[in-house]
Amino acid sequence: MLENHAILPCNGLDKNAGVISREIAIKLCENANNKIICPVYYRVAEGKYNKIAGEHSLLVIDGCQTRCASKLAAEKNLKVSRRVTISEEAKSHNIELKSNLRLLENENTLIEIILNGLNSPEDKVALSSDETTVFNKFDYETYQHGKFLFRVPANPEIYFNENDCWAYVIGTRARIGVTDFVQQNLSDILYFTPPEIGTEIDQFGEAGEIESSKSVFELVSPVSGKVISINEALIGKPELLNENPYELGWVAEIELTNFEDDKELLIGFDKYFEIMKKKVEDINV
Amino acid sequence: MSVLKVGVLSCSGEECLGGTISRLATRKVLEELKFIDTVTLCLPLYLAGGEEERNFAKVYPTISVDGCDKLCAKRSTEKYSGKISGSIDVSKVIGNENALNTKIVRNKDLKDEHLQMIDQVAGEIVKMIGSISPDSLNINPK
Repeated sequence: MLENHAILPCNGLDKNAGVISREIAIKLCENANNKIICPVYYRVAEGKYNKIAGEHSLLVIDGCQTRCASKLAAEKNLKVSRRVTISEEAKSHNIELKSNLRLLENENTLIEIILNGLNSPEDKVALSSDETTVFNKFDYETYQHGKFLFRVPANPEIYFNENDCWAYVIGTRARIGVTDFVQQNLSDILYFTPPEIGTEIDQFGEAGEIESSKSVFELVSPVSGKVISINEALIGKPELLNENPYELGWVAEIELTNFEDDKELLIGFDKYFEIMKKKVEDINV
Repeated sequence: MSVLKVGVLSCSGEECLGGTISRLATRKVLEELKFIDTVTLCLPLYLAGGEEERNFAKVYPTISVDGCDKLCAKRSTEKYSGKISGSIDVSKVIGNENALNTKIVRNKDLKDEHLQMIDQVAGEIVKMIGSISPDSLNINPK
């Protein structure tokens, strides 16, 4: 059973996914030592809820892809240990949610499924990053084309795929993200959709989306494994990807499952740098 | 007859009965009384920066429904969308002691007396919509 968690539901009132988020939060507090953080009152009583969030692991329940609760957590610099998005859960379980705000059969079925998942020790929603793994060393080489500067880290532990995504590998973990080529091409990044924590991703599988006014970029994961954390800061500030897509703008951390095989299909700095330069020249960024 | 669209921005509070009553009364106006020209605005989304919600409240008359005298909905509407067209403080309708009851906040714990409070607040919301858009009372069943 889920215990000792602070629960931050979106509590939305105009979609039933928001109503479901509230219902789940309430049920999780009925028979266990969990506490709800009210997303509205948090903006008035910050001290009270900061204390609760600081003393408990945090479960964030978003109703829809707007992810208001996640944005609030990012705004308040809270560390999220678990996350559920109701609309995604409904989709993955083939449950259609109605447009009214009543909790009918489908809604109650979904609530039960999510509660069972959260209360199960084997649930896949969980897990946060191991903070002892530090991905903080970047030795950049740069390439200037017109007014645009492209940085590429040359560290041997950073690998690339030809889809302009990188993986910084330390032991059995990797941090992944996109290169400067992507952010320069997209221009001003407006939205970031992270991969779901707990998801198993194949090598070259989708690991989130980045959207600018120009287009949408699907991040192609260079490595296979389980998503163990995401960069919360990007949810509230996707523009960090423009600022620096390697350090501030990393996307997710992966618990690697088959890196020895993955490595065979990845390239190092030398090769990627040449490929990127050619791409820049070809498309005239 | 011109019917003006009216927005209702309700407290989504979890801390006391006033929040629950606000939420349920607003839903009652929309779902049971079927005020088709009334639109709920999602307060958590509004606070998180939802442009559609904020713009709606700038363009259309909007009523805030607050569970207690912290007035989260009213204050945020004034902050992000300007002047508000009407404001209901549930604690003034059902009494401060009831509104600040922290023992009963969940739907399943509500008793007849609380359901009456929901009706009372829903009535206040309807009255306020009527004062802003009188024709709305003619086309919507009560």
